[in-house]
Amino acid sequence: MNATGQNLLEVDHLTISYRVEDQWIPAVRDFRLQLQPRQIVGLVGESGSGKSTVALALMHYLSSNGRVESGGRLQFKDEDLLRKSNAEMRQLWAKRIKFVPQNASAALNPSIKIGRQVMEALKAADDIDGHEAYKRMMQMFHDVNLVDPERVAERYPHELSGGMQQRVTIAMALISNPELLIMDEPTTGLDVTTEAVILDLVRGLIAERDTGVVYITHNLGVVAQLCERVLVLYAGEIMEEASVLDLFQQPRHPYTLGLVSSVPRPGQSKRAAQLQSIAGNPPSLTRIPGGCVFAERCPLVIDLCRERKPPLESLEDGRLVRCHRWEELSQPLPPTPTSHLYGEHPRHQMPTIEMVGGGANGETLMQVSDLTKHFPVERNLREILGRIEPSPIRAVDGVDLQLRAGQTLGLVGESGSGKTTLARLIIGLEERSGGSLQLLGLDVRNSVRERSQDVLSKLQMVFQNPQNSLNPYLSVRQAIRRPLIKLRGLSAEAADAEALALLARVNLRAEYAERYPDELSGGEKQRVAIARAFASDPDLIICDEPVSALDVSVQSAVLNLLAALQDDHGSAYLFISHNLSVVGYLADTIAVMYLGQLFEVGEARELFQPPYHPYTEALVSAIPVPDPLHATERILLSDDLPSAQNLPSGCRFHTRCPRKIGEICETDEPPWRQGGAGHLIRCHIPLEELTAAQSDLIPLDEVV
Amino acid sequence: MRALTISRLSVAFGRTARTQLRHPQSAAGTLLVAFFLILALFGPQLAPHSNPNDQSHDVRVPPTLDPGALQLGEHPFGTDRLGRDVYSRVILGAGSIFRIAGLGTLLSVILGSALGLFMGYQGGWVDELIGRVIDALLAIPALLLALVLIGIIRNLDFAAGSWQAALADNVILLVISLLYIPIVARVARSTTLDIKTREFVEAAQIRGESQFYIIFREILPSVIPSLVVEASLRFSYAIFLVASLGFLGFGARPPSPDWGLMVNENRGGFYQLTPWALEFPALAIAILVIAVNLMSDGIRRAVQKGS
Amino acid sequence: MLQFLRRRFLFFFFTYLVSSLTIFFLLRILPGDPARVIAGGREATEAQVAEIREALGLNASLPQQYVTWAADFIRGEWGDTIAFRGAMNRDLIMERSVNSARLALVALLMSAPLALALGVIAGLFENKLPDILISLLTLSVVSLPEFVTGLFLINIVALRWGRSELAASLGWWFPSSSAVPANASFAEMLPALWLPAFAATLVMLAYISRLTRAGVIEELKRDYVRTAALKGIPWRMVIWRHVLRNALLPTVTVIALSISWLVSGLVVIEYVFGFPGLGSLLIAAIERRDLLLVQAIAMVTVTVILFANLFADVAYALLNPRVELA
Repeated sequence: MNATGQNLLEVDHLTISYRVEDQWIPAVRDFRLQLQPRQIVGLVGESGSGKSTVALALMHYLSSNGRVESGGRLQFKDEDLLRKSNAEMRQLWAKRIKFVPQNASAALNPSIKIGRQVMEALKAADDIDGHEAYKRMMQMFHDVNLVDPERVAERYPHELSGGMQQRVTIAMALISNPELLIMDEPTTGLDVTTEAVILDLVRGLIAERDTGVVYITHNLGVVAQLCERVLVLYAGEIMEEASVLDLFQQPRHPYTLGLVSSVPRPGQSKRAAQLQSIAGNPPSLTRIPGGCVFAERCPLVIDLCRERKPPLESLEDGRLVRCHRWEELSQPLPPTPTSHLYGEHPRHQMPTIEMVGGGANGETLMQVSDLTKHFPVERNLREILGRIEPSPIRAVDGVDLQLRAGQTLGLVGESGSGKTTLARLIIGLEERSGGSLQLLGLDVRNSVRERSQDVLSKLQMVFQNPQNSLNPYLSVRQAIRRPLIKLRGLSAEAADAEALALLARVNLRAEYAERYPDELSGGEKQRVAIARAFASDPDLIICDEPVSALDVSVQSAVLNLLAALQDDHGSAYLFISHNLSVVGYLADTIAVMYLGQLFEVGEARELFQPPYHPYTEALVSAIPVPDPLHATERILLSDDLPSAQNLPSGCRFHTRCPRKIGEICETDEPPWRQGGAGHLIRCHIPLEELTAAQSDLIPLDEVV
Repeated sequence: MRALTISRLSVAFGRTARTQLRHPQSAAGTLLVAFFLILALFGPQLAPHSNPNDQSHDVRVPPTLDPGALQLGEHPFGTDRLGRDVYSRVILGAGSIFRIAGLGTLLSVILGSALGLFMGYQGGWVDELIGRVIDALLAIPALLLALVLIGIIRNLDFAAGSWQAALADNVILLVISLLYIPIVARVARSTTLDIKTREFVEAAQIRGESQFYIIFREILPSVIPSLVVEASLRFSYAIFLVASLGFLGFGARPPSPDWGLMVNENRGGFYQLTPWALEFPALAIAILVIAVNLMSDGIRRAVQKGS
Repeated sequence: MLQFLRRRFLFFFFTYLVSSLTIFFLLRILPGDPARVIAGGREATEAQVAEIREALGLNASLPQQYVTWAADFIRGEWGDTIAFRGAMNRDLIMERSVNSARLALVALLMSAPLALALGVIAGLFENKLPDILISLLTLSVVSLPEFVTGLFLINIVALRWGRSELAASLGWWFPSSSAVPANASFAEMLPALWLPAFAATLVMLAYISRLTRAGVIEELKRDYVRTAALKGIPWRMVIWRHVLRNALLPTVTVIALSISWLVSGLVVIEYVFGFPGLGSLLIAAIERRDLLLVQAIAMVTVTVILFANLFADVAYALLNPRVELA
């Protein structure tokens, strides 16, 4: 490896076990890592890969049911961490080795003011007086771009937004100028716009310091944008280690290749090709195969792989790979890896729409007009005495949408934009406060309770969380046959047969019919939920973030399945996601939502090209593209979303808009402006000016 | 379909049983409860003298039980001042405490969970109102409410054989269920509130399932584990309460072989004469209460682990 | 905060209303004639019954009766006792309440610190030996019915050990009964108080310590405890500042709520020990069919409990920044 001079961190043969009911299970095996000052090394893995275990093991902090097996080495500069007692580690934790946790809201003590919590860290690191400590804290808060640091220090964690909380944890870690920083998914759970801001901040802060960083994430895009070297972890073992460029351009391990090519890139569409996906699921930790851990899912598998575990080989260019057949993968791949390994399946031609507004193809399936949902707010004492009606929370505030038969409308927006409420209004789980819904020209009743059988069977939904979307006490067969009996009126025998047919269509073997949800993986549960949604042969399926809880390697298979089922059934989708690339892949038309209103509607490929609405522009620029060569200037938005109870006047986006032109944005609601081919943008800036000012954020050749 | 759900639940209870066995104290508790249950069911067959008020024996005979020699003797727990065999009375007393506490608990669990499921699923002002009333009722101490109820009912004179008389005879059983219905309802309600927001319930709503179907087919199975925990807890409190009421003289009337009553009848000056007549029923109560507590603790642990 | 207080006070009044209605109507909705019950059942003559009916205003409509009764209660006019001829219910209850309060206070002072300590130790050593021992203790010995522990304390501790030579030198500290004069001063009562208070302590111990244990275990698993540990501050400080602070907050409420628990326990304990408190008065009142006295005792008890709960919730809200005060 390119170990010149002294490494900051050297890890060798590290094996970490957990005790589960009297048994020690090696969750991470033979882990290795070398880190130099000023270097950011990424550690990517899917859930269950052991990456968070590694994060805590690198801190030499394990829970009481975890242990590091002997024979490993964990060397931090001159310190052998594995030989350190807790008291000795405490001194290192106080100053030299710091940790930035995932989910900052849980990592901050809810009953202690922010200032005290940060000062506590500072005082553990240095013996300084209170005044000096306070000054340093203010400086640090300033460095992490916390607005109004004095007031932040006086607040409790729950009074801060998620982005601000994460800045606090970063400030807490960097305040002692540590030599080593372990960051465990610090942006997971944040909006893409906030994530972009935090990543930018981390990059800047590290560049000013000598700190070495181990950055743990499941997001390949983040790795590509941030890290120098990357380790790929799978089922507790390193599959591959390489520089970020090599890893994305010439993956030497079939798993890496599968991972890199299964992520949809912004602008990539189902019309061009299926996404590549890795079949199957990661092995359970209690049943780790004797041979290669990836063998079960590997397209290159040979008998040797199942018999013998491949060694972690060092390649001549400083890379590591654990595969018997890496040499066969050494051929350089084109910049956007579309290898034939996982099989490229060009899709049969789908009808592409010409116009969004005009309605060339596909009759209008659903017409949403001026749909509104206001949640009333309970009045406080002053409002009761003053007989003031408090303004309601305007979750959805006048949305017009058109869905066409057999097509997919994508809906994107940050959390809090009202997209899920919109979906729930359409499906009838929430009662609308105003506006109308028409399905095939007929008015649709407000809530599910009032809707006819016919309407119910035409509208179905796939939910976000596979964990909760199936009843744990019903078998797969029971889950699927119920809508067949209830909505399609089939007899019990016919329903059983049809349930098996549906299972086959979502690529699950017949034996799955008798399984229960806790015997299924996340991806399998979501397939069952999709089968259940299709059971009534609906015209419209609302997909509310159906893949956001899934790992990337599973996600692409579900997206492919959704596309294929749409081809067969001709159902329309309303596909909701915070992930613009995922929406872009599946959607024909995309609507961008912000604080209860739509700001841009257009054909999918139009949306990735200027003119953009300034908000869309920020969203697109914030996408962490899984390609280290992709460099765009990010448009960073402040991370405080105005409350839906207290909406900004004029254009709702003006408080965060980087292209605000003046007072008009604060006073007048912007007009809808018509671009080409039914592309609509709601902005005060004329589209020509927007086009002139904006650059292509996604290179044209990637938009297909 | 129903059978499958039941088999699913029985898998969960198999796991409960295994967890119980892994903790020796819970296993011991469960075994002891089973032992007392056998006494309760087959007391008349097991007791040497099936008439608890048979006064034909010598009075104040000390216990003949010899644990070292594993011998029971003529009167293992001795006889009381009236010449009644304490051993037989203790065995025969198990029946009433199990019947009252068990049936009372069962009744409260069935009615309470139905109420709680309905409240939790329905939501809105109905739930708000009933919930507040329940909270208010729970502010009154259970024993106080029980004493007031019993005090009133016992003072009413009814014609023998009338329904009121039947009610008065089972007053403790009714009081237990009345006291515990709101508590069980609250547990069922909060679990229902949690389950109701799960997406599988919404999936049932969007295919137009009836409220009855959603409550009993979709939600109930997921509520059952917490109801089982609550039922075992309620049972232990019920035993506690039955024994206490018996002791205070508001339970079974003399000369019935009620453990609490036996303790009360033999305290004070009589304790000096026949300590065993107090100590054995007190010991029986103590062991049963401890056993039920250990068992319900094990059930709670197993269910929490399973979820 | 105002919003919270407003709601809490509304709930307080609502609860008060519901419990008073319960106590009032329990007497009315049950089959039978309350006037006859008060007059002494079947033996009472029609004239006696009619007299009582007139005196209690039982001829008025039910809502009217409730209003009269509630107003009388608030004004402190709780009627004369039947059970204890000549005394006023109010005086009797007040005297006995003071005694019960003394008993409860001593029990709380003994049990709360002990229970907290046991709970914290058990929580910090989850599933290790100290925890198993404490759990067994709280589950078994301590969860016995009060009359069993009470009798054990009287018969074994007071009668058997209390008669030993060593104890004899302490003499009055080992009374076999706590039947002291009801109007005794606190100092006079103290020797008679500690044994029943200890029995009550055992009742509370299990309840408070198990909840404390659960709170500590829950807090220990929090991410912010890990954050604190990884700041490099001593473990002791992590426990004090980050674990106990949040774990013990809810126990404020628990202790106040356990007052309701304590009240039930005290009824039995006072009876076992013959202590002249409100609980033994209640039992006597029920035995002697003095329903007005029973009602008044129930109302006083509920009042105390509701105020304790109110106090606990407000204190909790003031101490805990997480409660939404908006």
